[in-house]
Amino acid sequence: MKATLGRSVPVALYLSMILVPLLFAVDRLVFVTGMNPFQAILHLDEHPLGTDAITFTFAQAILSALLTLILGLPIAWWLGRYEWKRIGIIRAALTLPFVTPTVVAAMGFLALIKEGGLLYSMGIDLRHETGLIGELSSMIGIEYSGHIIALLLAHVWFNLALVIRFVEPKISTLPPRYEDAFRMLPAGHSRWNRALYFWWPMLKTSILSAFVFTFIFSFTSFALVRWLAPNMWTLEALMAVEGGAAGIPGYRVDVSQLVLGGATLQGLVLLGALALAGRWQRQQSNEIELVSEGYLRGYTGTPGKGARLGIFAATVFALAPLVLMVFSSIRIRDRTSDSYRWSFDAWDRAFKGDLTYASVPEALTNSLAYAFGCLVLSCLLGFFVAQTIHALEEQNKTRLAQFVDVLSMLPLALSGVMVGLGVLLGILKIWPVMFSWYALPILPHAMLTTPFVVRLLLPAMREIDSDYDDAGRILGYSAYQRFVRIKLPLLKPQLVVAAALSMAFSLGEFGASWILLRSGAWDTLPVLVDQVMSRPKYFELVEPIAMAIATVLMCMTFLLFVIAERFRTHQGGGF
Amino acid sequence: MSLTIERLNVSFNGHDVLHNLNLKLSSGEIVVILGPSGCGKTTLLRTIAGLQEQDSGIISLLDEPIHDRLCEQRGIGMLFQRPVLFPFKDVLGNILFAYKKKNLQNMDEVHSVMNEMGLVGKEQQSIETLSGGEAQRVVLARILLTEPRLLLLDEPLSALDVDLRRKIALEIRSILKSRSIPAIHVTHDPAEAELIGDRILHWNELQPGGDDEE
Repeated sequence: MKATLGRSVPVALYLSMILVPLLFAVDRLVFVTGMNPFQAILHLDEHPLGTDAITFTFAQAILSALLTLILGLPIAWWLGRYEWKRIGIIRAALTLPFVTPTVVAAMGFLALIKEGGLLYSMGIDLRHETGLIGELSSMIGIEYSGHIIALLLAHVWFNLALVIRFVEPKISTLPPRYEDAFRMLPAGHSRWNRALYFWWPMLKTSILSAFVFTFIFSFTSFALVRWLAPNMWTLEALMAVEGGAAGIPGYRVDVSQLVLGGATLQGLVLLGALALAGRWQRQQSNEIELVSEGYLRGYTGTPGKGARLGIFAATVFALAPLVLMVFSSIRIRDRTSDSYRWSFDAWDRAFKGDLTYASVPEALTNSLAYAFGCLVLSCLLGFFVAQTIHALEEQNKTRLAQFVDVLSMLPLALSGVMVGLGVLLGILKIWPVMFSWYALPILPHAMLTTPFVVRLLLPAMREIDSDYDDAGRILGYSAYQRFVRIKLPLLKPQLVVAAALSMAFSLGEFGASWILLRSGAWDTLPVLVDQVMSRPKYFELVEPIAMAIATVLMCMTFLLFVIAERFRTHQGGGF
Repeated sequence: MSLTIERLNVSFNGHDVLHNLNLKLSSGEIVVILGPSGCGKTTLLRTIAGLQEQDSGIISLLDEPIHDRLCEQRGIGMLFQRPVLFPFKDVLGNILFAYKKKNLQNMDEVHSVMNEMGLVGKEQQSIETLSGGEAQRVVLARILLTEPRLLLLDEPLSALDVDLRRKIALEIRSILKSRSIPAIHVTHDPAEAELIGDRILHWNELQPGGDDEE
């Protein structure tokens, strides 16, 4: 009874943290629009940009996911199949983009495609669509096709790591005797047949999961759309930009309709996608045994020229935007003479806060404070939610366990902007004075990161042998002593990964922070980048300052990524 | 009597695993229970240890009823089939788990037990590098330091090869005898039973008419 009560409190706290602001936000929007959320979907076309936003959101998300798979699968195959020198470094470089904050990714791609950037100097002008891209644009007849190509490339860059993380461990740890046995059969004699009848069934759950998650992340893309395709609108970007006027009775009701209908549609699509991914992942978890990756790599041998070239190109692609971003922060364009000079002026101005409300040290302090608060809240809540689900599973209360599990995933079906708007509109109704509370952004950050903590800890808890607890009891340890001295140390690697990723996601979180903080005094680093980039570009240091701030953000995130990678176990595939 | 079990009943999902089981152990006695896999030997040990709930019956240790006490309050040691060592600690760290608090640690006692178990020089060794026999020795050292009033051995040697199994069986017997610790050892290997036990009981003697195979 005591244990049940103890478990219920954090779960109830977590669920109320997610549901209460959202329910109040929906209630407010229903009141303002006079229609229910599903009716609001049918009225999305009343907003001048509504229909275009829906079409573009779906089209770019599907295209991004397909392109990511087409480019990512060969990389995952080569990486998982062969023996590579310094595999750890290659893998880290290729998966780096996934933990890169979207604002940093946007700045990196801007550095790549801008006038004077690497692609521009190669005759590929995605920004102003002159030359080759201009010809292509007029040939296919799609306006801003250069911007769309840049956005798709950025989505591929960002999500390539997902394909590698989901698929490569499966390839590198599958016992070779399965393939050997299949090769002996008539159906396994040709490569095509092996791909179709052996590898596809083996890898399909991982490939489909990677496709769905890439779709989700592209569907909810905001920072990349905002800076790489500024004339295009995804639902997420439209809701973010217009959302400030939502929820006010009698004022711009079309905006409230847009937010209510857009959020409902987006929530339904994401929930459906997550349900599919969850189903495939459950199938994946009760499959065949695995071997150590070193064993298989030794078995298949060293890579050929094609594989080497492919991995080299992929690594350059993964690192180029980040390296160019750092260079762009110190390479200043002189507009009068159209020449470039090397200088740390932008860094100096960024640290002084000349173009922003806050300086880099102030914004960094805010970002770290929010990230630390998010770490504490999401790790505590995530741990207890995961423990509750695990305890229910142990007691054979499978349905209740699945119910809590699905509820814990709910924030994954909400984008940063939706959570930000939910907190904004919900808190306005509950307790408006909270807007003057410095720690408010911790709430949406923790809402977004807690599901990741649960997803990391739950499999680890399931894997802990009950013999450890029995041994502790035999040694006379109380439940509390067993928790502190046995369970926590056993979960330490996953806890460190969860803590580092919570902090990293919080540091880079843009959508919710942008909505809650854009006019406040507690700017975070991503909001600061956006502030600088919103200024007119006639001042030569505007872009370099944004690049400098993004570089600081990138360094902080990568530090956390390195910590997480040191503790990550490499099996099974997933986040 | 060291241990007295009277009319012990344990069931899983309505299926009787132990039915009116009686058992007595005299002071310092080592009893070996021989029986096929799945007959209920492990359930019996887990119930005595308090890791498994019983339906009814009395379990007394040194004439003191313990069946209503929590496992951690019974003062019983147990060696599992697979040595349970904590992967985040080295050999010494695992042995020191015998002490609930740091200020209770008696390093002289630790060194003496490690010496007896042939573990001197392996203090800082990672547990992943231990052989099966060494791992069980570390677990036994840890349990001996808790000064158990009864030791339960749940086929702890089953994963070892025949020669090593016999060697360690003799060592365990000698250690238990030198400390006068009563023990119940379950196994399905008659040769091992002969080596270690003062008295050998077949499962059918404990559970007449009971299922040999669950």
